[in-house]
Amino acid sequence: MLIVLLLPIMFSCAPKMNTKFSEFPLMYEEHPRSIIILPPMNESTAADAKQYYSTTIQEPLAYMGYYTFPYPITEEILKMEGIYDTELLVNLPLTKFKEYFGADAVLFTTIKKWDLSYMVLASNLSVSIDCVLKSTSTDQVLWTYTGTVIVDLSGGNTGGGLVGLIAKVVVTAINSAAADYVTYARQANYRALYSMPYGRYHPQYNKDKNVEFVDQTPEGKTAN
Amino acid sequence: MKKIFIWSILGISCWILLNGCAAQKQLYYFGDYSNTLYMNEKFHDEESLLEHKQELEQIISESENRKMSVPPGIYAELGFLNLKSNNTKEAIMLFQTEAKIYPESKFLMDRLIQMANKKDSRSSEVSSSTE
Repeated sequence: MLIVLLLPIMFSCAPKMNTKFSEFPLMYEEHPRSIIILPPMNESTAADAKQYYSTTIQEPLAYMGYYTFPYPITEEILKMEGIYDTELLVNLPLTKFKEYFGADAVLFTTIKKWDLSYMVLASNLSVSIDCVLKSTSTDQVLWTYTGTVIVDLSGGNTGGGLVGLIAKVVVTAINSAAADYVTYARQANYRALYSMPYGRYHPQYNKDKNVEFVDQTPEGKTAN
Repeated sequence: MKKIFIWSILGISCWILLNGCAAQKQLYYFGDYSNTLYMNEKFHDEESLLEHKQELEQIISESENRKMSVPPGIYAELGFLNLKSNNTKEAIMLFQTEAKIYPESKFLMDRLIQMANKKDSRSSEVSSSTE
């Protein structure tokens, strides 16, 4: 009885859901095995974000079942070749990465937000990462998603209960050490990668076509 | 009677939950990898580099203990650190191991092995010329 009453509410509130297959069919067509992670592009105001963020993405990507080229090595090789900024590579053909590294796909990441914002009653820490995976054989976008984490640091007016407690824990953590964005960048990564189809080393490989996720694809990205 | 029913439902759902969790075995053991890598990136000093290197070695031995495959890139990264400190033989061995476990890496590993061989012959030339 209760369920029947709740059903319409559940449906009306549900955010837009997509399956991995309907959203990223090329992933299941091309089945990339290996991914090279390029140096992040930084659109935030924090100069050190690029360097710090780059240390967070390789591990979760490996957990998704892909062969991830070790970032410290590929970054250095790219530097030897004179490539410091990924911005220069965005519109170039990606076959070079197949020829030089043997990579099936290239991961572009853009740091959209990496900052603290102070308002009258609240302050927020935001980390937002835009990810695009492109094929080295067709240059097409295989997967794209944005992971965002916003942490409320105000803590004061949250009242009692569990929520208040969590907020206060966060506040002490922030106060005791300088705001450690990296922790939240890792969370943002996990949020983004949640929508990515699994790779060959994962037990769910090719079995996750119907897995649903909340659609957060940045507008205008799917058409490419 | 109602209580028994509720408890049995609770019990069953707990059992399902626990089983579900047990089935979700982690794919790799990554230890403290991201953290030591971050520290090394942050401080860029000998100490943090050594700590990261030790972490790589620890990941390899712990993965073996747990009978899991060593995560992608770990052997290669350790090899690269060895290459930088001129332990070319050790480096080549590690690159070969990476290529063996992960055939996807073979292309890059062969390139790194070439690099190591070049470095090796260059350093032996230098040492023979100074002799």
